Amino acid sequence: MMNSAYRSVHLTASRLINPNPISSSLLHLLPLYSSTHAAPPRSSPLRRRFLATPSSSSFYIPMAAGDDQVPPPESHLLEKQFESFRVQLEESAALREQIRAVVMEIESATRLIQANLLLVHQSRPIPEIIEKAKEKIDDLKKFYGRLAEILQKCPGQYYRYHGDWRSETQAVVSQLAFMHWLETGTLLVHAEAEAKLGLNSLEFGLETEDYLTGICFMSNDLPRYVVNRVTAGDYDCPRKVMNFLTDLHAAFRMLNLRNDFLRKKFDSMKYDLRRVEEVYYDVKIRGLISGGDPPPPNVQAQSS
Amino acid sequence: MYENEKRERVVKASRDITMNIKKVIFQVHSKDNKEEVLEKAGKDLEAVREQHFARLMKELQGTDFWKLRRAYSPGVQEYVEDATFYKFGMSGTLCTLDEINSTLLPLSDPSLEPLQINILDYILGLADMTRELMRMAIGRISDGEVKFAQRICQFVRQIHRELLLVVPQMDDSYDMKSKMEVMLQSVIKIENGFTQTN
Repeated sequence: MMNSAYRSVHLTASRLINPNPISSSLLHLLPLYSSTHAAPPRSSPLRRRFLATPSSSSFYIPMAAGDDQVPPPESHLLEKQFESFRVQLEESAALREQIRAVVMEIESATRLIQANLLLVHQSRPIPEIIEKAKEKIDDLKKFYGRLAEILQKCPGQYYRYHGDWRSETQAVVSQLAFMHWLETGTLLVHAEAEAKLGLNSLEFGLETEDYLTGICFMSNDLPRYVVNRVTAGDYDCPRKVMNFLTDLHAAFRMLNLRNDFLRKKFDSMKYDLRRVEEVYYDVKIRGLISGGDPPPPNVQAQSS
Repeated sequence: MYENEKRERVVKASRDITMNIKKVIFQVHSKDNKEEVLEKAGKDLEAVREQHFARLMKELQGTDFWKLRRAYSPGVQEYVEDATFYKFGMSGTLCTLDEINSTLLPLSDPSLEPLQINILDYILGLADMTRELMRMAIGRISDGEVKFAQRICQFVRQIHRELLLVVPQMDDSYDMKSKMEVMLQSVIKIENGFTQTN
């Protein structure tokens, strides 16, 4: 009863003061504090001056423009919107769960390939190693196929979730490229890498940047390989790798990379190349390379 | 790579939105000549929308907007923050995502799929907006407009509670978690503001 008096005064007052009148239908949503508290417990000293009595049945015109004019937020609209958000975000979260499960499988298959390929540093015969590693590629193909299927459920959002398989894919490319180089001495090209994984650029492809980054990772492993090959007596390896890396580096230089992760990886390739060149030089001056220069004469003065 | 140039342009458009829109917030906060200033704020918002936001949309239409999200998200979030704050200043209501997107429809090329603000950028912008609401509430409390401040308080509390439920499912849940902490601090600041009027 005291609330309705308050309300009607409020209505009149606000229509007088506010040139943008709020529809009265909104006003009934007003969570009037006077309805829940005996007396306004937190009213400022300023307000008390205007109230004849502390009870809200008194005639009250807000002197300060602004207070009491603005209606509360339309709660039901708000709730509806956030309910819809919850539903949508639950869907995307569920999708993400599925993606993560497959990506974990991709990662473990890649580790198996990697563990296998590491044996080349211990001079195991390459064809054997490659054979074993190839078996795992079929698994990878299967997993990427599953990923593509999941992504089909949300067309147009490839890039929304791409981050979830980005680094794993880079690792995959790195292993595949290394394997390819061991077999053929050449660079695994993007189209070939894509085909090996059963991907195609129309639906679910191999991102160019992921491919390039993977290649850089492969280059990072080459200096170590060269050192171990030389230790094992393969003195031809440094030259081969050096030529390969020189060409690779030159090709990369032609790309206009922006200042990001890929760019940094490319920069590190310079150091890989330098280390390989050092090993090559080392091997060369010791005359270890077949058909190379004889060792330089011993110029150290004989101790008397 | 051509893509890099496009990305640069998108980043620039996003920055231009941010730079030109901040004044709207100050205008909504303003206590003098409220009606006039609010009207001006509305016009400024429209101007940013028609110049810079339209430019952003032009760049993004026809390309994959998820791919370039990092480039434009800050500007879009800022836009959401300012537009929702303006709407609150005008009517005390929340500008929903649908409402914001309907204002953007006329800017789209009708032959292409209309570019719309996504849920994530909306929620992130909304989260930032609550900080401005806190400032507004504190200002109103010190001006004696306690009721208005109480309403703002309720509003922010409600947004906080609603968003709490969706945070873990967001793509940017890490960012969002820290925004939620800031939001809670805003609510607490307002609540503490009430105790100081006694």
